[in-house]
Amino acid sequence: MVDSVKDYAIFMLDPDGRIATWNAGAEALKGYSAEEIIGLHMSRFYPPETLREGRPEKLLERARSQGRAEDEGWRVRKDGSRFWADVVLTALRDSQGKLVGYAKVTRDLTARRAAEEALRRSEERLRLMVDAVKDYAIFMLSPEGKVATWNAGAERIKGYRAEEVLGQSIETFYPEEERGTGKAARELEAAARDGRFEEEGWRVRKNGARFWANVILSAVRDSAGTLLGFTKITRDLTERRKLDQEQLRAAQADEAIRLRDEFLSIASHELRTPLTSLQLQLESVSERAEGLDGKLAARLERARHTAGRLSELIETLLDVSRISTGHFELKRERLDAVEICREVVDRLGEVAVSAKCPVTFVAEGPVVGEWDRLRLEQLLVNLLGNAFKYAGGTPVQVTVRKRGEQAEVEVKDQGPGIPESELSRVFGRFERASSRFHHGGLGLGLYVNRQIAEAHGGSIQGRNVPGVGAAFLITLPLTPGQGASGIMGPEATP
Amino acid sequence: MPHRVLVVEDDLEIRETLVEVLEDFGVHALSACNGQEALETLRDATRRPCLILLDLMMPVMDGRAFREAQLKYPELREIPVVLLSAYADLEAISVKMGVKRVIHKPLRLHDLRSSVEEFCGPLAQA
Repeated sequence: MVDSVKDYAIFMLDPDGRIATWNAGAEALKGYSAEEIIGLHMSRFYPPETLREGRPEKLLERARSQGRAEDEGWRVRKDGSRFWADVVLTALRDSQGKLVGYAKVTRDLTARRAAEEALRRSEERLRLMVDAVKDYAIFMLSPEGKVATWNAGAERIKGYRAEEVLGQSIETFYPEEERGTGKAARELEAAARDGRFEEEGWRVRKNGARFWANVILSAVRDSAGTLLGFTKITRDLTERRKLDQEQLRAAQADEAIRLRDEFLSIASHELRTPLTSLQLQLESVSERAEGLDGKLAARLERARHTAGRLSELIETLLDVSRISTGHFELKRERLDAVEICREVVDRLGEVAVSAKCPVTFVAEGPVVGEWDRLRLEQLLVNLLGNAFKYAGGTPVQVTVRKRGEQAEVEVKDQGPGIPESELSRVFGRFERASSRFHHGGLGLGLYVNRQIAEAHGGSIQGRNVPGVGAAFLITLPLTPGQGASGIMGPEATP
Repeated sequence: MPHRVLVVEDDLEIRETLVEVLEDFGVHALSACNGQEALETLRDATRRPCLILLDLMMPVMDGRAFREAQLKYPELREIPVVLLSAYADLEAISVKMGVKRVIHKPLRLHDLRSSVEEFCGPLAQA
């Protein structure tokens, strides 16, 4: 029976350790035939390094003294190749107790050892890899949620060194208001129940600083399903969250501006429709009212005037809306600025009288250039309107002149001037320096003026003339050149 | 026989105001609130108007579509059209539509009066 066993080398040694018997398994495992090996010492199977430490003798000695000796280690075949062997050596004694030899059973464990080694290496590699990961905290928790392992990423993100944190509850990493609320326990329960739990939320570093974390908890079970603990992977998303929120805020701000411009556009168009009908009715009624009671006619005239002002305000709003949506373009034609400005001054004669502002018009010769007629008129109408409003009762001077390749239109009043603190702001979108005066207006006229001037490639400036009043100077290139976008819009404004 | 003018305008207040003002001029005013209704009014009318005052932006059938349809009917194509609109580039639009005159909104009485006189002849009360 022993002879036929192939998977084990089973043979006898004499009391000195020399081979006395040999079986098929021994021949298969070690490569020697019975004739070759019987009578030789068993140390022949040991590699040199084990011979140097006297391993065969020690084993024999242990078997002799203890009855049995077991060993695992490298052995050498006849052809010099090595195998990993499990060896059991049993001392054999006769009835008087005298040593008569040894039984030796050797098993080849090379394959098993290779598998174990591969597993060990793989575990080692995984451990090294996890240890080296810096961007993720990767660690193990006991089934109760106590920290069992720690990696470099965990140290970097959470700020604790391994020795400070091993054995601590994961609640340590939760914000104070969440500790003791059972949140951590619920999350572990969920991971145990579903295999996995993921969330984003605030966590706390050792120094107390909060960070926005993505956390994945996974249950770890053995083959029988017993919970061994959890792996926890934490990522610090604070920067990403900040970036996301900044993008969101920027998008919301853009959207708010878009909605405001859209509202402005819709509102001003909607306002214009009923006003059209109102103005037409008033005009028609006052025509028919001629010859009627003078008081009634005056009141109708006042209503028409009010409707006219309303209409102007709406037209200004429409301009602002066109500017902010980039929908306004200049219609340039060849014009004499002196002629246009003189017409405007004449047209506003009645208004000037009621504001008690005598207007002086100063111009030498024609100043011809290519501009948008209506917009050029609007520039002066707005400036004169402001002068009448803020400097009522004082003389106003309008000067039109050519300076190099530029036309200059200046409106000077002798009113209180513009407060110095407001000078830089009066051309902004919703600014009006003189809010302490009880004057109407949306404060958009100067903003529209600046847009008109800049669309022509020119500029508008306001200043105070010491001891005199306010002066506004419009400068327009005679011909469209560089810098004249021809389009009024936010992009035309630095 | 008073002049006949067709007003095509979707806004009720403007439409009625226009009709009233035209009646003040001594004109017989017809009205429609979109292009589709205008075509029906023209088809049913016993006497064709001497002028159509046409708004551009209207639901159902807008001013452009009305003008295209109008030009397809030999009996309607010769009726002159004046555009009423708040569009800034109304002149360019009118050229494309083959319309000779425009009135910018907000409307002024004298624009209205001179348009009627240009296409229909002198007004009794003018």
